[in-house]
Amino acid sequence: MATLEVKDLHVEIKEEKDQTREILKGVNLTMNTGEIHAIMGPNGTGKSTLSQTIMGNSAYHVTKGDILLNGESILGMPVDERARKGLFLAMQYPAEIQGVTNAEFLRAAINSRRPEDDQISVMDFLKELDKNLSLLDMSEEMTERYLNEGFSGGEKKRNEILQLLMIKPTFALLDEIDSGLDIDALQVVSKGVNSMRGDNFGSLIITHYQRLLNYIVPDVVHVMMDGRIVKSGDADLAKKLESEGYAGLRDELGLDVDLVDDNR
Amino acid sequence: MISAVQDYEAVKTAVKTAASAHGEPQWFVDRRLAAIDAMQDLPLPEMKRYDFHRWPLMDNMTLTFRDSDKHLADHLPKADNQIRFVQVGQTTVAVNLPDELAAQGVILTDIFSAFREHSDLTKKYFMEKVTKYNENKLTAYQQAFLNSGIFLYVPKGVVIKQPIEAFLIQDSTVKQAMVSHVLIIAEEDSQLSFIQHLTTEGDVANAAHCMVEVMSGANSHVHFSSVDELGEQTYSFLHRRANLSRNARFDWAIGIVNDQNTLGDITSELIGEGSHSESKVIAVTTGKQSNGINNRVVNRGKHTTANISQRGVLLEKSELVFNGIGDIIHGASGANAEQENRVLMMSNQAHGDANPILLIDEDDVIAGHAASVGQVDQNQLYYLMSRGIDKKLAQRLVIRGFLGAVLDEIPLPEVRQEMIDMIERKLEDGQHFE
Ligand SMILES: Nc1ncnc2c1ncn2[C@@H]1O[C@H](COP(=O)(O)OP(=O)(O)OP(=O)(O)O)[C@@H](O)[C@H]1O
Ligand SMILES: [Mg+2]
Repeated sequence: MATLEVKDLHVEIKEEKDQTREILKGVNLTMNTGEIHAIMGPNGTGKSTLSQTIMGNSAYHVTKGDILLNGESILGMPVDERARKGLFLAMQYPAEIQGVTNAEFLRAAINSRRPEDDQISVMDFLKELDKNLSLLDMSEEMTERYLNEGFSGGEKKRNEILQLLMIKPTFALLDEIDSGLDIDALQVVSKGVNSMRGDNFGSLIITHYQRLLNYIVPDVVHVMMDGRIVKSGDADLAKKLESEGYAGLRDELGLDVDLVDDNR
Repeated sequence: MISAVQDYEAVKTAVKTAASAHGEPQWFVDRRLAAIDAMQDLPLPEMKRYDFHRWPLMDNMTLTFRDSDKHLADHLPKADNQIRFVQVGQTTVAVNLPDELAAQGVILTDIFSAFREHSDLTKKYFMEKVTKYNENKLTAYQQAFLNSGIFLYVPKGVVIKQPIEAFLIQDSTVKQAMVSHVLIIAEEDSQLSFIQHLTTEGDVANAAHCMVEVMSGANSHVHFSSVDELGEQTYSFLHRRANLSRNARFDWAIGIVNDQNTLGDITSELIGEGSHSESKVIAVTTGKQSNGINNRVVNRGKHTTANISQRGVLLEKSELVFNGIGDIIHGASGANAEQENRVLMMSNQAHGDANPILLIDEDDVIAGHAASVGQVDQNQLYYLMSRGIDKKLAQRLVIRGFLGAVLDEIPLPEVRQEMIDMIERKLEDGQHFE
């Protein structure tokens, strides 16, 4: 069993004129393989910041706290090393890279985890690729196109999940993998994630919609507000939020937090 | 650059003796001597925002002929049914031209044989029509000290489907400047693609002057690509020019990854109405090397189209200047000239420049330009690395993407792949020292 722990994590970002702003204000979270966690929360509360910080995006500065993978701090590791240790982030806004085909990129990613003298064979790679393409209902043509270039919003999301299935990380952080997906695509993407479920896989799913959690049923649901996890519970917590909204929870917890809706 | 006082009369006497002993026809010997006379007062070629005056390009003012070791070409991939020409130093190692093309009148031979055997053509075209020997000091030097090269003639209406590959291997196992010339005459309605490979064997410090002149006849279709990989001890001057006749189509696809300083000068002269040229250049610089590249198109004829697209990548402490020069001459109504010059800085100690220079003397034209000097996109790098790919490979992939806009448009897949491979090699070299 593998464990990912986030301990009292404080994160700042740089804004204009050397100003800094604290986004995460002490996040605590522990997840094990075999578990699916969901994080919900209002816009701008720091969900993407949390996932990017775990992955190692250098735009986010950890000022306090720690992130541990199997008890070892990963804060000093660059992003590629964290990835090779088993972390994966399906990004809210994946980059587009011209000149590099999707297939070539996937092979490079797989091979980066393997020793120089044991790179994946073309046959094995194609077999695995075909299997996952059909699971995700994607055409082979997508893999010969340049990485994400000109992909529609939904195609990009599917492509993130294709990478997940090919790379097979230990922990996957999925940031709004459901946004912009039509109902069919939502089911396909969920099928992909569910196919990874098992004792050797854990996932942290960031979403705004209970609907995704009908397809990928979480073991734990966390609610994040203003840079902290303010409540955790089981799958029912998401349903409750859906009907009552964040304002209800905030008032119930007696939190002093501005929500976007309040300003309207 | 030239030792203070050269005794030009002595140089002429020596050149005359060497050229005659080499069996050159009198008309060419005379041209050499005229070039030496002209050289003395001519300026160096103009290169905006770039200084190469101190480069040792013309240290060698002697003309000598010697045989090179043919085995220096042994590493070339075997290819029996390719059209190819291989020259090591001044020694022609192989000329492969299918009989049926020879029967149609195609000529592929070394330049000196052409002076002797096809003097009607060479006399008329060699540094007379496309590039004139007395344009500047370096063109005069070219004619005076020429010591190797190729002549290709494609008669009217002949279509050569297979690419013609020329391997020009600089022999730097000895002290000897490479002064090489590729003269191509593509007659009306002909079609061909020519792939040049420039490499160096040996590590003696020598200059390389590699000139290409192409005469593109009416309705001809010529594609010229070059993969330039000259050695670390070679300062080079690469002068390439094409004249386009009516409705001719001409493409340059050039990858410059030499290991020493390079002055590149690429020109398309669109003389005939309706002619069209595409100039694509990729350059990668590493170490302390410096490359200055002029990519020039001149719209002279009506309704001519001339596009420039250049991409450069700089590593370490290198320098790269791209000048995109669009010259639209008065009377070239309906001309169209677009250019894009972009450089990517992989190091903050490198110095890159992308200058669009437009000289437009006609109202009825469409001309546009884009230029940029930028850093590698951190977002792209992060994305690739977040999948486990290490930083250096991620950088190379992003660079490939950046070069992709030019690479993609190279029509011959084998040339495209060769360029990708050589760029990859060069990038790995450059990253090695970071
Ligand atoms: N790279 C950055 N530079 C500047 N500000 C940032 C950056 N990343 C995040 N922020 C700011 O930090 C705050 C939290 O953003 P974050 O993207 O983590 O929110 P989120 O919870 O994911 O919101 P959403 O639900 O809208 O995706 C926001 O105010 C955002 O503007
Ligand atoms: Mg977000």
